[in-house]
Amino acid sequence: MPLRVETYDRIEDAARALSTNRNARVIGGGTLLMRGVNAGVQGFDTVIVVRGGQSREIQSDGARLEIGAGVTMASIAANADLAFLAPAARVVGGPAVRAAATVGGNLFARPPFGELTTALLALGAQIHYVGHGTPQSIDDFLRERGRDRTRIVRAVSVPRIGDPSAFRFVKVTRVAPKGAAILSIAAHVPMQGGRVTGARIAVSNMGPTPLRAIGAERALEGQPLSDDTAQRAAAAMMEGLSPLTDELASEWYRREVAPVHLRRLLLPNHGR
Amino acid sequence: MPVEMRKEFFANERDDNLNEIGKPTQRQDILGHVTGRSPFYDDHLFEGLLHMRCVRSPHHHARVRSIDISQAERMPGVKRVILARDVPRNLNTLLSLLDFGLDDEPLISEKKVSYKGEPVCAIVAESERAAREACEKVRVDWEPLPAVFDVEEAIKPGAPSVNEAYPTNLFVYHDKYDHQKLRYGDVEAAFARADHIIEGRYQMSPIEQAPMETCGAIAAPETNDRFVCYTSTQALFFSLGTAAKLLDVSSARLHFIGGTVGGGFGGKVDSLHEPMAILGAMLTGRPCKYMFDRVEEMQVGAPRGAERWYLKDGVTRDGRIVARKFTGYFDSGAYTRLSSYAIIKAVGHLPGPYTIPNVYADVYCVYTNRTPATAMRGFGITGVDFAIETHMDKVAHAVGMDPIELRILNSYRDGDMKAHRRLAKNTALVECCQVAAEKAHWQISAAARHATSLTGGGGERAQLPAHTATDQQGLVPGGRTGGYARSTKRKEPDFAARPPQPAAPMPAAPAPQRPAASIEPVPSAPPAPPVAPRAPARFSSSISGLRRR
Repeated sequence: MPLRVETYDRIEDAARALSTNRNARVIGGGTLLMRGVNAGVQGFDTVIVVRGGQSREIQSDGARLEIGAGVTMASIAANADLAFLAPAARVVGGPAVRAAATVGGNLFARPPFGELTTALLALGAQIHYVGHGTPQSIDDFLRERGRDRTRIVRAVSVPRIGDPSAFRFVKVTRVAPKGAAILSIAAHVPMQGGRVTGARIAVSNMGPTPLRAIGAERALEGQPLSDDTAQRAAAAMMEGLSPLTDELASEWYRREVAPVHLRRLLLPNHGR
Repeated sequence: MPVEMRKEFFANERDDNLNEIGKPTQRQDILGHVTGRSPFYDDHLFEGLLHMRCVRSPHHHARVRSIDISQAERMPGVKRVILARDVPRNLNTLLSLLDFGLDDEPLISEKKVSYKGEPVCAIVAESERAAREACEKVRVDWEPLPAVFDVEEAIKPGAPSVNEAYPTNLFVYHDKYDHQKLRYGDVEAAFARADHIIEGRYQMSPIEQAPMETCGAIAAPETNDRFVCYTSTQALFFSLGTAAKLLDVSSARLHFIGGTVGGGFGGKVDSLHEPMAILGAMLTGRPCKYMFDRVEEMQVGAPRGAERWYLKDGVTRDGRIVARKFTGYFDSGAYTRLSSYAIIKAVGHLPGPYTIPNVYADVYCVYTNRTPATAMRGFGITGVDFAIETHMDKVAHAVGMDPIELRILNSYRDGDMKAHRRLAKNTALVECCQVAAEKAHWQISAAARHATSLTGGGGERAQLPAHTATDQQGLVPGGRTGGYARSTKRKEPDFAARPPQPAAPMPAAPAPQRPAASIEPVPSAPPAPPVAPRAPARFSSSISGLRRR
């Protein structure tokens, strides 16, 4: 069957078309979907295009920032309000990919891709759909990702991060600067009275979507960010995670190096 | 850093009055490359072009019980499903064109696959996508077999037999031995006299050449009953000969057009895209393209092969290496391709650029269930050089010497006899070591600094060993494989009538110096022993030269 391209002026119409066709995919920046088209991936036969693209707006209501699904990695990296997200946006692909790749696409990126989504998971982002008033937590979104193919993401929202040291991100690659990730880790570690409160650690390539490192979060919660705490968080990090084996790294390798990178992320000046 | 020419070491080798050689010159294709105008094979457009994709084995080793193409044939856009039975002469080995080795590899496999990605079926369709979709619909009933991935495991008794032409998983050299031999002097006697014995084990993994342009070819029917073929090949006449043989047509009916290779690095020396594309064009009467995608390039495209080397050195207290013994294993993957030849090169190179009076090597070309290996820059040499030079450092450490001084001490000098029984000339390793030390600000002794490759060689060092220990170890039962003889056009080697002889016949005298301008083949062949000339047999042109008689 030749590939079919359906173009819609209104995003609502695109959403309706998507909900009736299991073999359809919505194109964002095309950096992943067109790769699939070129490689002859058999999993879909229809590409849905929203004319003019999806929302490219970044809005702020004080405590939260809403990022349109069509916002590119390059736009995030250049936005002052989103400076805390820039480290994750800036390591997606090379400049050409970042100029095209969108937030909406990244949310559906399969391993080893999806750095931004890993960051969004650590930030406790919310997903807003076209035509649905109630947002969904990113945890729920990722848990169900791939099962529900009927809704189009309109935007994601994240809390504004006041203290830049409270959010940290690292992408580990073999080929700098733009190789695909062996893994990436995002750590949101807000401090209250010198102790970590509400830690969220997300890590990629440990399963079909970015996942939270619950063991590490538990080890950090209520503790000062010390050598000891970081060691304990690193030791507990892999609890419940099943690293992937692919062309970049084996399950064993990822399991061995992930805690090292978490410790370095939590204590950037340790041993320097 | 400006290039520094030290011409004094090669003064008698060069003529500085040549127009091109020795002069900086612009490569002829660079203008096209920098202006984006170089034509690659995939730039040639044909009306009605068909696309070919292969159904590949998901197993490393498996028997094919059956292939059901009924659904695939009915898919929209499918023009032809090609199976092993459609290939006119479905068995080949690249170097059969040089009369070296048995035909061991089908173009499309039928009963058995021996590496992951081996093709068992090809589909020609109106679009690449249609061909891919039809490939998904081919039902293959696989019976997975035990697989072997390690060279030493593969040659143990009871190991799975990978390659039907060589059932013991070893290539047969010169119709006689299951490995390539080098015997020069007597290493065991020298080991007994040495102060230190230093052993090491070294190995390298396969390396993918990873060209930007993946391997491929486009073929189309021409007038006069010919087929034109645009190809990415690095070796146009190898490709032409291979296609003519597999398709059982005269090469005069094949019009090959090569040209710009979008990166090759050895990986496009023995591609099989040309016969595949031409076969597609023959069976459909339309232009046909067959091209690896990136995954195929990495998984199926032949890499530089893995190697494992064991080295054993006998060394005197003052750091002189008096004996060096090699046991080497080349991982050829499932088929021979060029690994057999890589070993001939490697053995010609031993023991490296050093003068060692006793050298011994057994080098095995082993079949495993890995992707068949092929050429990559310097193949046959690069791997063993890594082993040799790492081992030199180990020796230096063991005898408490500076590693560069150890190399200068043992370096070959002009006029020395090498283990392949040629006199060394223009050696210059001593000077390379001196410059490397100087540039790296590495302190070496005054003696090492003043050493030279121009003197100190020759004389006694030009003599062949008084005694070379030989043996028949690894002799294939019956003294021959019976294998080469399977080729009907070839005369049966007459082993019975020939007395046992060392694998490398010894010349009566050192090789005569050649005229300075002569170009030696690599590896250079030992001079023919002075025996009565025999009637020339066709197999006497083995690429090692060792069969010359």
